[in-house]
Amino acid sequence: MEFTALFLAIAIVMLVAWRGSRSLALPLFAAVLIACVATYLHHATDTLKLSF
Amino acid sequence: MTPARAITLNALSLYAVALLLAAAFAAQLLLHELPCPLCLLQRVMFALLAIGPILNIRFGPRPSHYALSLLAAIVGAVVSTRQILLHILPGDPGYGTALSGYHYYTWALIGFVAAIVLLSAMLLFDRQFERDDKAPQIATGVFAHAAVLLVIAFTALNVVSALLECGFGACADNPVVYELLKRGA
Repeated sequence: MEFTALFLAIAIVMLVAWRGSRSLALPLFAAVLIACVATYLHHATDTLKLSF
Repeated sequence: MTPARAITLNALSLYAVALLLAAAFAAQLLLHELPCPLCLLQRVMFALLAIGPILNIRFGPRPSHYALSLLAAIVGAVVSTRQILLHILPGDPGYGTALSGYHYYTWALIGFVAAIVLLSAMLLFDRQFERDDKAPQIATGVFAHAAVLLVIAFTALNVVSALLECGFGACADNPVVYELLKRGA
């Protein structure tokens, strides 16, 4: 679900960058980038199933 | 480098991003391999890379637009490095089928590092940022328009694909079926 939301958010930022205002596109980009980093950290802190 | 030439190069970079997203789709549909969460995140970062060039085409080249793409490329490189390290142990077959000897996440790291190098190289050309208020605004042609529409279309296709794969819950670590289609069956 989080990836659907991220792709949707990026598509919206692309449309704002293409047809809307620059001053709106920049903070939207920052918000999506932070969401991406948060998603990465969520997955990066998963326990690794390694067997030694 | 003139602003017009810089915009042409930005349009070319959008075609490159569209090609990468198309290659990921081809592997997903032709090889019937669903992308894992980190694979999806790498696609997300490729799509995010495209926003800088779109802003450059729409508003003219600016260092801040290149900076946005640089940030996206750095995060993308971190994500793909993480996935390479997950599969680095001897005997680990990796995730998915290797294409020309490398898995998608290895190609992704190469792509993100190449993007960092190319974006840094673009920032070396100061003349593209010179603004002349008397000069007419740069007209973006069909080539650049088509590049923007193509990359938006591939991002929209990824919205549908991710929704079908993950449904309305968290994505499976090792997905083998489309969650939404399974529920409908």
